[in-house]
Amino acid sequence: MRAASQSPATVTGCEPGFRGVICVSFGAANTLADHDAGGMPRQDFRFASANPEALANLRSVLERSCVGVRLVLAGPPADVHAAASAVAECGLVDEEITLLCDEVGPRVIFCGHCHASTTTDHPIGTDVDCRGCATTLTFTDHFSRRVGGYLGFSAHAEEAA
Amino acid sequence: MTATALQTKFHPVLEGTLQLEVTNVSAQTDSITSITFGDPLGELLPSYVPGSHLVVQYGTGANAYSLTGAGNAPREYAISVLRVEDGAGGSLAMHALSVGDRVQVSRPRSAFAPAATAKHHLLIAAGIGITPVLSHARYAAEWGASASLIYVHRPGTGAHVQDARDLLGSGLTECTDRGSFQEVLTRKLTTQRLGTHLYVCGPADFMDSVLEQARDLGWPKGLLHSEAFSAAALDDGQPFAVNLARSGITVEVPAGVSLLETLENAGLSIPNMCRKGICGECAVPVLRGVPQHRDLYLTDQEKADNTTMMCCVSRSLDPELELDL
Amino acid sequence: MNTVLNDTVRDTDVLPERIKHFPFPFSGDIYRYSANVEPSRKIITTEAGAWGGRLVHIDEHYLAELKDRDEVLERDPSRLQVLPHMRPAVWDAISTLLPALVEEYPDTLSFAREGNSCRWRNSLQDLDVEFTIGDDTSLPMGPLRFLGSQIQDDLVFLDHRQDALWLDAGVVTFAADWSVGFDVGMKFMEVHHPVPRVKEEKIASRAEQFLMRLQPGEQYRRTNWTLTIDRRLDTSTETYPDWAHDRITIADDPALPDRLHLRVEVQHMIRLPHSGAVLFMVRSYLLPLSDIARVPVWRENMGRVLAELPDDMAEYKGIIHYAKAASDWLLAN
Repeated sequence: MRAASQSPATVTGCEPGFRGVICVSFGAANTLADHDAGGMPRQDFRFASANPEALANLRSVLERSCVGVRLVLAGPPADVHAAASAVAECGLVDEEITLLCDEVGPRVIFCGHCHASTTTDHPIGTDVDCRGCATTLTFTDHFSRRVGGYLGFSAHAEEAA
Repeated sequence: MTATALQTKFHPVLEGTLQLEVTNVSAQTDSITSITFGDPLGELLPSYVPGSHLVVQYGTGANAYSLTGAGNAPREYAISVLRVEDGAGGSLAMHALSVGDRVQVSRPRSAFAPAATAKHHLLIAAGIGITPVLSHARYAAEWGASASLIYVHRPGTGAHVQDARDLLGSGLTECTDRGSFQEVLTRKLTTQRLGTHLYVCGPADFMDSVLEQARDLGWPKGLLHSEAFSAAALDDGQPFAVNLARSGITVEVPAGVSLLETLENAGLSIPNMCRKGICGECAVPVLRGVPQHRDLYLTDQEKADNTTMMCCVSRSLDPELELDL
Repeated sequence: MNTVLNDTVRDTDVLPERIKHFPFPFSGDIYRYSANVEPSRKIITTEAGAWGGRLVHIDEHYLAELKDRDEVLERDPSRLQVLPHMRPAVWDAISTLLPALVEEYPDTLSFAREGNSCRWRNSLQDLDVEFTIGDDTSLPMGPLRFLGSQIQDDLVFLDHRQDALWLDAGVVTFAADWSVGFDVGMKFMEVHHPVPRVKEEKIASRAEQFLMRLQPGEQYRRTNWTLTIDRRLDTSTETYPDWAHDRITIADDPALPDRLHLRVEVQHMIRLPHSGAVLFMVRSYLLPLSDIARVPVWRENMGRVLAELPDDMAEYKGIIHYAKAASDWLLAN
């Protein structure tokens, strides 16, 4: 996760019982400024990243909302996936959530050996060093929605002495 | 002890059939009677998923009834049956049962299960539709899950009213007329916390109306559950005939009997494995006629070709099929 | 001709149990993925004996494998996962499998239930334990770890919701190259995403449809296989760095016939009656090539299957570097 620099002005919250569209964007660009909410009332939130504080804010917004709400999450894949995982725990189903991931941007690699998460800008199919155990990991498109990341495994284990 | 274990000793067709004894009959209301069935030897009965139904045989017919218990290693299966004077006869037969009678029942089948991930269960029942949601309410109580119930019944004609009050306390809203129900429904549909699942059972037009209003108020399909007895199993289908070109014989396939069983009974040996339309083992070549494909094995294209069918589950749209057997 | 037949019969008579009950998975010289499901408890006779009469099979490795599992869980608790909504399913598995085990081993095991109070006795482990269904604190090690300490199978629980199955709990210490810690919370189709050919051939979606139609009381099984170097049950992603290197060196190791094992998973699928969850039980059997070779038909079958196996499948199974060495040895002997 990147450093948090979130403005308190962005989390004024919805009124209790909100059932419109909650638009949440992460990162520098306000990717949802032009998002079409289909005529439903909308609430916008912007966070620098999906850090624990931002996710706690998002959860409390959802706790005040009611069934009928739609959630749109936009921004870098690492942030969108982390937020999607957090809101799934609130009981939201796929039909209630729209994920709009930037095509490029950081992704989370989950180390299959030590289970640490490493954020990287590298594309799928390349290597990255695990932040937890320093193993050089290769990763594919095998993705876990709960972890919010891709599975990485030792790139050179077979040839190691 | 053996009754809780997995049943495996029957032929696949008979698997799950239980012979039980009526252990209690009691009137819920003027037109609704509760009946309990137990194992004649007093063994525990197989557990069931909340919202399950039991198919009870009567004479030559069989009817499905919702089980009203929580389903945890029960000693008895309990159903409540509304007497329908002009029905097919099932409810009258049930109302004629008395303690000690033996009945043949299916194993409970699940087609209206609670969502394990739900943060709250909003149960909605009208009339006799209380039966499966009562099962849900009991299960929620068993595991400490959050549940509430809107129960629509005319004064004095509601079954299990006291059960519902005891189970749900302030979580129960009783409505005795359409107007008050509509008001309650609109309020409930617009005030449920995220992660709430809705379950509805009652007359078809009642269910349709509740589901339509929920969808209009933004409820996604994945949160909506309604009781549909026929969805769990493939239905019996219509009878048809098969002409076996190479054997030079014609055999009748009655409703409720698979083509595979019919062919086996006629002395043919058909390779088969799962008998559920998945493994692809029991494919038979079709020479003439349009099969009613009900398998999960053939591709859409193969089904459209109508040259092969899975005889364990598929039937016929035409009165007669010709097979290359 | 007669002599050959007599020799075969004599050979089979003296084969050890581990070979006689081994679920040899190949019936011909070609192997492809398929939804090879069949009703469970059907006894399959093989060239060496028979297998498959039981839902749960206790064999001579029982205590050793359970000790192995316990050590893995002590080292790495992530091999046991229970998302909160799966608690009822775990208790359902306990109340379903323990009585089923007693049916199969009535002389050594016993289970009594009165309401939710249970008593379980297992003379193989000198165990006598009382617990209450639904009360996690009544089994100090936790209900799923307890169940995993009684049977050799790995257990995977699938929740059925939104017209899909979700892998939401499991105790998996003997994984064949996957990680339950990573996969938990995935849909069935997401779990199988890395398997080659499965998407094109719609095998995983058909299997999921089949499992979603399972009714309580029905039991099905299938087998799957790979090769494992040494008698190593824990070939999880977590320990991959420990064993991956063997994949390169084994081909030239003169001890290959004793070190290289055919690993067969007998997978049972049942619908748990009360929670409605689907339980996937995975029992792993390992048999070295030197044992396989004692059954001439097996030797030849397996040798040909390995020689014919397409590269993408060999790659996915992690056997591409030594499948040919194994095949050459089998077909030469």
